[in-house]
Amino acid sequence: MDVTETLAHHMLDHNWGITLGGMSLPITTHTVTLCAVSLVLLGFLAWAARPHVSRGGRLLTTLLEEYVTFIRDGLVLPNMGEEGHGFLPYFCTLFLFILFANLAGMIPQMKTATSNISVTIALALCSGGLILYSGLKFHGLWGFIKGFVPSGTPWWLVPLVFPLEVLSTIIKVSVLAIRLFANMLSGHIALLCLLFLIFILGETNFLAGVGAVIPAMAVELFVTCLELLVAVLQAYVFTLLTAIFAGAVIHTH
Amino acid sequence: MEALFKPDVGVTILTICNFLLLVYLLKKFAWKGIIGALEKREQQVADDKKQAHEARVSAEQLKAELDEKLNRIAEEAAQKMAQAVKTGETQRDQLLAQAKEQSARLVEQARLQIEAEKNQALAEVRAEIVRTAMIATEKMIAQNISQNSAQAVVDRVLEEVKKK
Repeated sequence: MDVTETLAHHMLDHNWGITLGGMSLPITTHTVTLCAVSLVLLGFLAWAARPHVSRGGRLLTTLLEEYVTFIRDGLVLPNMGEEGHGFLPYFCTLFLFILFANLAGMIPQMKTATSNISVTIALALCSGGLILYSGLKFHGLWGFIKGFVPSGTPWWLVPLVFPLEVLSTIIKVSVLAIRLFANMLSGHIALLCLLFLIFILGETNFLAGVGAVIPAMAVELFVTCLELLVAVLQAYVFTLLTAIFAGAVIHTH
Repeated sequence: MEALFKPDVGVTILTICNFLLLVYLLKKFAWKGIIGALEKREQQVADDKKQAHEARVSAEQLKAELDEKLNRIAEEAAQKMAQAVKTGETQRDQLLAQAKEQSARLVEQARLQIEAEKNQALAEVRAEIVRTAMIATEKMIAQNISQNSAQAVVDRVLEEVKKK
């Protein structure tokens, strides 16, 4: 059994090979999953946001309002201040989008799109764009550039500090992508490895393989639960860090 | 496995478009309504809270005013009560003095009346005595008794009257 090949088959994104005018379109398993996630979110939230008369509908609206309150009072306002009000829809969408993309892998025939580095880079670029936009909106171009040099820095240190601060911001945004990608990928690799363990042992000795089923499945169940926790946690961390970085740009020292 | 770490620009661009479009559509069709309703309700709660606070302040102010008024009324009542007691005492003293004066006057009047009646009685007795003496004198004259014995009879009669 070629573990590497099987892993790659399960983890890698697969292009569906759709072309338009001779140009290959990026219609892959992950992008389709993300489109499905977007459609589900759009349909569900647009429906839930409408005024409801039924008790269940009102409960749903209340739950959504609680969610918005959680994002606003727990993540956005403490880090970005009152300036964060305008960005609330972005953060509300970001958390749910990442969460659903993380959890999509739990559904059979669907993939965890956030275990694809291209997807996490895209999300990090969006967050980077938001940070850049916040800086430019509240401080202007010159004020935003000046914000990279902490106040009180001696003039002769500015040529050293400025590139370091710019690099620091780029690294922060890059780390957002890497953290989400690594966490989601590692969970899936762990799950697959536990399954492979049964087959690898079974190839060596049939009875050993059979004996490994129950312990491997027990650990698999535990890791799956852990994976659910990680899915929520990573969505939260990504959203929180984006708010913190944007807040740091808005409220410069 | 290296392919896992190799970014696909097409996927990245498509994901960015997908996500930003989702943000826009959700902002328009979902978050706007939810956030609007939430802020409206929060504003309503804040207004209600403010109104309740104002009502409380107003009620406390009213209570303070009423307490002050009540204290003033109690003070006035106490003053009036004291004044009434004082007036009552004055009137009592006046009435007592009047009663004493009237009583003394009545006693004096009664004494004078008694005195007058006593004097009248004495005068009547004296007149009776004189009349009796006159009758006796007449009788003695009629019986031809001597001057001395007539005088002695008169004196004895007067002496007896005095003793009575």
